[in-house]
Amino acid sequence: MGHIRPLLAKEFLDLARNKTALVPVAIVTVLTLALPFGIAIAIPAMTGHALGEDSDLVRISHMASAADTLSDDGRIQLFLFQQFLMMFLITPVTGAMALASHAIVGEKQARTLEPLLATPLGTFELLTAKVLGALVPTLTISGIGLAIYLGGIGLFAAPGVGAAMASLRTFLLIALVAPASALVSLQAAILISSRVNDARTAQQFGALIIIPLAGLMVAQFSGSVWLSSLALALIGLGLLAVWLALTFVSVALFDRETILTRWR
Amino acid sequence: MIAARHLTRRFGPRTAVDDVTFEVGRSEIVALLGPNGAGKTTTLRMLAGLIAPTSGSVAIGGVQLTRANGAALRMQIGFLTEAPGLWDRLTVRENLRVYAGLYGLADADARIDRVLDLFAIADRANARTVELSKGTRQKAALARTLLHDPTILLLDEPTSGLDPEVTRSVRMLLDERRAAGCSILVSTHNLDEAERLADRVAVLDERLVAIDDPAALRARLTTGRTIVRVAGDPSAYLPAIRSIVGPGVDVAVERSSLALQVPHPERQTPAIVAALVAAGAQILEVRAEMPALEDVYVHLMGADGGGA
Repeated sequence: MGHIRPLLAKEFLDLARNKTALVPVAIVTVLTLALPFGIAIAIPAMTGHALGEDSDLVRISHMASAADTLSDDGRIQLFLFQQFLMMFLITPVTGAMALASHAIVGEKQARTLEPLLATPLGTFELLTAKVLGALVPTLTISGIGLAIYLGGIGLFAAPGVGAAMASLRTFLLIALVAPASALVSLQAAILISSRVNDARTAQQFGALIIIPLAGLMVAQFSGSVWLSSLALALIGLGLLAVWLALTFVSVALFDRETILTRWR
Repeated sequence: MIAARHLTRRFGPRTAVDDVTFEVGRSEIVALLGPNGAGKTTTLRMLAGLIAPTSGSVAIGGVQLTRANGAALRMQIGFLTEAPGLWDRLTVRENLRVYAGLYGLADADARIDRVLDLFAIADRANARTVELSKGTRQKAALARTLLHDPTILLLDEPTSGLDPEVTRSVRMLLDERRAAGCSILVSTHNLDEAERLADRVAVLDERLVAIDDPAALRARLTTGRTIVRVAGDPSAYLPAIRSIVGPGVDVAVERSSLALQVPHPERQTPAIVAALVAAGAQILEVRAEMPALEDVYVHLMGADGGGA
């Protein structure tokens, strides 16, 4: 385990020298930050049509179990901000996928993997450092974005929306579901990266991982799915279990011989 | 000490290394010589514990290398890969610091300074490796290889593509490591380097074709001819030679020399020299003909049609 730290430090240093690699994460974060404020606040203000005038939105927003003290507009804003919160927390991971899917195959192509494997570094340590190397910067950017997101809600949303956002559901999304889904996605990307011999292939496979996430978001916005706090807690724990399983599988499938001798 | 015992490695139907046995002793440099695809890199990787042999075994300091003890035994090994394998965006010092961490070195900075000084690249310590010349990158990679003071060095083409000055400094450094007690195995294409550097040369072509010290390898191809180089036209002295050696001995004129295939050179050479002097020849050189290591290598590889 002691070998993770120096390799992780290298990952951060490398990333710090290659800041453009984080641009996709930052762009996705900015877009997902701007989108809910545009839909929930800016567009109604510009068009002069309040959100509460849309009966479908009023109906769907009741799923959010908002406090009765909120106006229709406030309840719809709360619903939208809650829904966008999940999207906001998860989508930056799709940007980090490029980092993760490049992790092993990139080292191989740069011919830096073999000297690394000649050290006492273990497979679990190598893969963990690679996952954390993509996860930590992503979560840091997400965290900064989250602070702006919650601050923006407090400043611009209808009265009471900010307070209503401070719920167990929000906490579970931020503290459990988002990091767990990031871990699963990045671990899967690392697994793919150690099984394919070309960075482009790794990225193409990595892109497939966002499909279930996109499906979940579409279902949420259509109002057909509303995940309760219990459901989110179970999903979060389930994702952690999947991550542990993926970690085990990644280590088991990491074939240093094939990587060293068959990849060109 | 590192020992390979009946090492065999197959990749599907292809055999890369076949039943190779040798060892590299303490304070010894062995050069691993062979053409492309001879199995040199595969052998080095097996010795470094990076890939497992299909059969056979590797022992490091008397301990058999296994999957379980691989990480611990790799602490004793410094492995220079064919490519320097440095992270381009990191400086030389940062590259070395990562490896110091991976080897768990407590006095990392002091060790890094030491190896940087050793290779005279301290002034480039804070340069990103992408900015370095090929020679400096190779020096940085060698510095990384020596960072943890390994007792065994496995070096894959350490001087490939380097200029003569850098090559010489690398050679001197390996001499120092040998004197310090290291067991060193160097893979190379460079016959001159093998001869200058190595105590023994192992010729590999999937199988171990030969392993011996360079002089002994050359002796295998000794022709038994005596070469006498004279001033002026050597053919003028042919009658004098023939009068001494008789008609059954093959005497040839080769540029400024006479080449004689005499059955007992130790006994006959003084009389030949005396006869030449009596005939007025100015003798510049008398020597037994020895093949170059290259000739031995070509012969062993069978490229001369004779096979090994």
